[in-house]
Amino acid sequence: MEAALAAAEARTSPIEFELWVTEKADALLRFAYVLTGDKALAEDAVQDALTTACARWSRVSRADDPEAYVKRMVVNAHISWWRRFRRREAPSPDPIRTTPSASDGATARAESDAVWALCATLPDKQRAAVVLRFYEELSYAEIGVLLHCAEATARSHVHRALAALKTTLSKEGAEDA
Amino acid sequence: MPEHDPEQELGPKISSAFQNKADASELTGSGMAREARRRVRKRRQTLTMAAAAAVVAIAIGGVWSAVGNEVPTASNASDSGAKRAAGSGTAPGLSSPGILPNKEDAACPLDHPIFKAGGYNTIAPGTGLDLAAPVTGLQACRYRLTPDTTGLLGQERFNGEVAQQVVDAIKVLPERNASLPVFKCTPQTAQPSEAIVLRFDTADGVREVWVEYDGCDSAGFFTGTHTYGLFSAPLKLFMVGDVRPTGGTFLSALGDW
Repeated sequence: MEAALAAAEARTSPIEFELWVTEKADALLRFAYVLTGDKALAEDAVQDALTTACARWSRVSRADDPEAYVKRMVVNAHISWWRRFRRREAPSPDPIRTTPSASDGATARAESDAVWALCATLPDKQRAAVVLRFYEELSYAEIGVLLHCAEATARSHVHRALAALKTTLSKEGAEDA
Repeated sequence: MPEHDPEQELGPKISSAFQNKADASELTGSGMAREARRRVRKRRQTLTMAAAAAVVAIAIGGVWSAVGNEVPTASNASDSGAKRAAGSGTAPGLSSPGILPNKEDAACPLDHPIFKAGGYNTIAPGTGLDLAAPVTGLQACRYRLTPDTTGLLGQERFNGEVAQQVVDAIKVLPERNASLPVFKCTPQTAQPSEAIVLRFDTADGVREVWVEYDGCDSAGFFTGTHTYGLFSAPLKLFMVGDVRPTGGTFLSALGDW
């Protein structure tokens, strides 16, 4: 019995990279898509992260939560793009609603589209903070670690984004009325 | 009118919008693991090639310097440097002597009979290697055997010298390694999660040796007509790069593989 248990343990202890990717890739891609707002960027970010993870898999697989480890790589890749393309980007000063409002202003689908479109106009760090807060449901301390900033700064990112979104939604609501 | 907390007011809407968009994204991660491995291999090859190029540049620089200085003893030094640079017999850009770039036409089959074999050590008649026959090359193929998720995990190609070394290291082994533990286990745990197929180039075509090192039923090198015990000496020759497993029941017991 002990031998069988030892055998089972020996079989399962090293997490196979391929098997792990098969299980987790879809979730990682969904996270990256929400983070970047772009399917191609999401695929690139996840592929880059998986390549890095593959090269150091023995270490990654021993982490408490390999998925969180790889998600952190995805966030880092996104932030690095933000740095790389910062000059090329021309963020709008205020969020702009790019999708038409629903006729009754109440359908969940239209609201989702509107919020998604508004989030797309946020600066990348604010958007990342919002995604980590409301999609990943992380604490501000955890967001601060991931975004390489203080907890208060992470909180500030989220609150500024929310304030901008609220202002825009309120303005649009008033205009629709 | 009380002031609402924006997080409580907008949080659920944002969360719902993200979930809806993520659900509708239809992104799938098939093939990402293989692409990651390919990129890692390419990066390593690039690094090794850069290192090889640096060595060659240093050797050429040494020759140039020796010729320029017209030092009588320089010709011997340059000869030996050139020989070292050009005559090692190792393909450039490779991390280990004897490993060759994988060839498209000699790649491991994606659908291998080992997936369907009655036992993972049951090689079809006529496909096993006669260890007395000379071999000219080796393609090592690492397969996942887990039901419903079978597939190729990695492959490496070796030159004739390494191939013959592997054969020579296997054919002197006893039928079983008495130092390995004997397990009593259920059929589910007996089944190996992976195995390696060694595909040797011979005068009669490709001939195989199946290597079993996981599960708790049997371990060793199987040719179809002979069984050789699992020892680390042959494993060390080909368990490199993409065909090096991260573990295995009998590998853990073996220790020094």
